[in-house]
Amino acid sequence: MLRTERLSKRINSFSLREITLDVARGDYYVLLGRSGAGKTQLLELICGLTTPDSGRIFLEGEEITRKRVQERGIGLVFQDLALFPHYSVKDNIMYPLKIMNLSLKERVDRVQRAAREMNITNLLLRKPNSLSGGEKQRVALARTLVTEPKVLLLDEPMASVDASLKDDIRRMLRRLNRNGQTIIHVTHDFGEAISLASRVGVMHNGRIIQEGTPLEVFNHPVNRFVARYAGIKNFFRAAFVTSYNSCSGLTEKRTRFKLPKGKYPSSGLLIIGSSEVLLSRQGAAGIQINNIHGVIDDVVPSPTGFEITVNAGDFFYADITHREMEENSFVTGEKVIVSFRPEALRVVGDGEEKKEY
Amino acid sequence: MMKGHTLFSWVFTILASLVLLFIIAPLAGMFLDSSFSEVRTTAADPVVRRSVWYTLVIAFSATLIFAVGAVPLAWIMARRKFPLKKVVQGIIDLPVVLPHTAAGIALLGFISRDGALGGAAQKAGILLVNNGAGIALAMAFVSLPFLINAARDGFAAVPERTEKAALTLGASQSRIFFTVSLPQAWRSVVSGFIMMFARGMSEFGAVVIIAYHPMIAPVLIYDRFNTYGITAARPASIIFILVALVFFVFFRVMATERRTIFRREDDAAD
Repeated sequence: MLRTERLSKRINSFSLREITLDVARGDYYVLLGRSGAGKTQLLELICGLTTPDSGRIFLEGEEITRKRVQERGIGLVFQDLALFPHYSVKDNIMYPLKIMNLSLKERVDRVQRAAREMNITNLLLRKPNSLSGGEKQRVALARTLVTEPKVLLLDEPMASVDASLKDDIRRMLRRLNRNGQTIIHVTHDFGEAISLASRVGVMHNGRIIQEGTPLEVFNHPVNRFVARYAGIKNFFRAAFVTSYNSCSGLTEKRTRFKLPKGKYPSSGLLIIGSSEVLLSRQGAAGIQINNIHGVIDDVVPSPTGFEITVNAGDFFYADITHREMEENSFVTGEKVIVSFRPEALRVVGDGEEKKEY
Repeated sequence: MMKGHTLFSWVFTILASLVLLFIIAPLAGMFLDSSFSEVRTTAADPVVRRSVWYTLVIAFSATLIFAVGAVPLAWIMARRKFPLKKVVQGIIDLPVVLPHTAAGIALLGFISRDGALGGAAQKAGILLVNNGAGIALAMAFVSLPFLINAARDGFAAVPERTEKAALTLGASQSRIFFTVSLPQAWRSVVSGFIMMFARGMSEFGAVVIIAYHPMIAPVLIYDRFNTYGITAARPASIIFILVALVFFVFFRVMATERRTIFRREDDAAD
């Protein structure tokens, strides 16, 4: 439905470079990246607020690269929402409808419908300055949705919303997408991407460095940056040795990882999720290999329990539950054994690993 | 800590009071030195009345007419990037730093019969020198920076994102200007309008070069002073100051009232 071909744009010292995207009708595509990665610039290119130096944009097969922003049929909700402060909520939503030369009845009907959908019928006479972040977000969405955009672009839609209201907005966005709205959503939060996206594109320094379903990106990060972004903290650069009956990886700090039998590159990244790392004082039951001795460096509370950092030459991060903590009472400075199953290790070879630009 | 703070407050209050006194004292002295009957007699003088009326009408007309071009120029200065923008800003500010008599001489060359504008106007049957139109041009010349700069600051303070949002919602550039930019910059534009009007109304140096007649109030005061001395000039000055104050306060209150109405609506919305 929406396709960009090798889209490039230079803005001062920053460049968006050769962005190729393919978003199908009904997709919920999340562009994930740190601030300054170029996500907002890409949205502005897609909706026509800026024009690319090179590359092309297609919407429903038609090239729209040089088409005026007003005629593209693409809606954009800005991060700061950009509501008109001098208009009431009703007039904000009515604004694009006045331009569309609709009859007064049609305009009023559309405003009422959008207000009902966004659950803001009680706010119509208020001014934006008197609304909460969540309410403003709903008004901004309503204002854009009344134009019935072919593609809805959302720039960090959760940024101005209280944590307690994020679930509401997420539910609303999912519902919109279920009703057929194609959405491109920009965020820096991997959790947000996991909970909403049908596809994810990870942006870094003006490029999309990995694309796929959230699960693909999480399970097979193409490099250290994506792994870190996906919340993975245990990744180690290693050289791999494959012999007749064993395979192993040896890190620069001389930590040896036993791997399941298979073919491995000569060097690359070893990755393991924090929840796969087990801690014990005598070695985890049932795990004969990959028992590494270390000392607890830090114990930090996390939403699900605790995150424990172990210094074993290399640093390991283990997520443990409150119950496990109650049973074991791990403390900083204590000697422990870090254990994990060989099958929990993932390997990204140097050849496969995408360069971190 | 408290003692230091009090000393600081005292010093600043005294310094501020001295400056305020410097502004108030001559004006208060002028009022005290004139009798009510003198002021009343002068106020009844048709020449004085006509002169005050001219001043108000010409200054207001000049502000209104030049706002048509000054407001777009202010928007361009706030929103557009272009080569030599700083030079253009310097040109806008030039009338503020020029001696106003020099500004009058420069303008006279431009609007006299031999000048570019004056020659063209004469062909159309309009004489700009010694005419209300010439006075309006002189007033506008020296007071335009007040409107342009205030409006420019107002437009610059409008969040650019709201203008971009309007674009994505299908609005044309002109619709965005009138429905998004101008309403948000309105207070600054009105404030600049008032300042330009007030500055134009009080202009003497440039006006006296362009047109001694018809006599606007500042020229009349000067004329009375030159011809009859300070006692004759004082009541005319008082009348003009009072009239100027009434209009200045009226416009200010109008602008504030508008702001209060906005705030009341917001409060009610809470």
